[in-house]
Amino acid sequence: MPPDAPVEAHHFQALGTNCSVFGVGLSLSRLLLGEFWVHRLGTRLTRFSPDSEVSRFNASPGQWVYVSPELEALLRESLRAFEMSGGLVNVAVLPSMMAIGYTRPLAEARPTATVSGAGPLPALPNVLKVRAGAARLEPGAGIDLGGIAKGWMADRLRETLGPNALANLGGDLSAGGPGPAGSGWPVGLAGVTVLLRDQGAATSSVRRRRWGELHHLIDPRTGVPANTGLEEVSVVAASGVEAEVVAKTALLVGPELAPVYCAAHALAWWMSP
Amino acid sequence: MRTAVLRAGATVLTLATTLLSAAYVTAHLKNPAAPLQPAVVKASTGSAATGPGGVKLGPSVQPGNGQPVTSTYAS
Repeated sequence: MPPDAPVEAHHFQALGTNCSVFGVGLSLSRLLLGEFWVHRLGTRLTRFSPDSEVSRFNASPGQWVYVSPELEALLRESLRAFEMSGGLVNVAVLPSMMAIGYTRPLAEARPTATVSGAGPLPALPNVLKVRAGAARLEPGAGIDLGGIAKGWMADRLRETLGPNALANLGGDLSAGGPGPAGSGWPVGLAGVTVLLRDQGAATSSVRRRRWGELHHLIDPRTGVPANTGLEEVSVVAASGVEAEVVAKTALLVGPELAPVYCAAHALAWWMSP
Repeated sequence: MRTAVLRAGATVLTLATTLLSAAYVTAHLKNPAAPLQPAVVKASTGSAATGPGGVKLGPSVQPGNGQPVTSTYAS
């Protein structure tokens, strides 16, 4: 059996979380360029900065707004996620996030536990329209790209890094190529090691990002933090963004339907009540 | 005379075609147990195997023995 190829690794903080990039046959400077790309795009996509592209889009309801190719792609991906999840993954979640007090990054300040003014979310296609180079948000709506952005960015970053690389952005990861030993990238999923090759993985959980009785994962049917009987779901899927969508959907449909949903949409999965 | 020859020829041709067709069909009987082409390695039942730690693994994801380089985690 041939020895494993050397893996270059780089770890950094971005998007309010821990990130890592790995590559076989890649230089550290190449991985540093990847970190730079994450910081640059993350700055444009965060809802916590009033100057970001997403915040300016949220602040311009009722009119067509120029959007960058990256934001346009993410908005289209969000509409696809809405369809794929039967409406359970809905980026028009910003009003609910504000209602539960999640107005700043948790690293800066814990919100006060409160629910005021939250209600069921509108169907995303009813409030978000996208056309080439532009998008429009209906008044009263707001978007938070959240995990979809991380999964999508992990996929793009992995593609950019090269044919044998892995990107992990806060647990949303994308693995491409044969990995260091030729059988896939060894990735920890729910405490065990699985080998991923041209696949993505993600975990959706209500155990982190909690304050009081609340947490960050909103159920679009109620507009308040989900309480479905599942606390954590980990998924392997065809891409990082798809894994994110499937994991979140499975958590939101609850323990009875989640195994069926995962059997239809995931390549591997694990769930915890 | 010429009409009789044509009738005989048509009859012979018809009989020959019928016999040849019958021979071809009997030599190419459908075998319901014949393997699919291309061969199907494993029929999908919609179920995944249970791997270590209770993780459900579909056929395109293999368990590994070594240490992972990274992991999914809720952030």
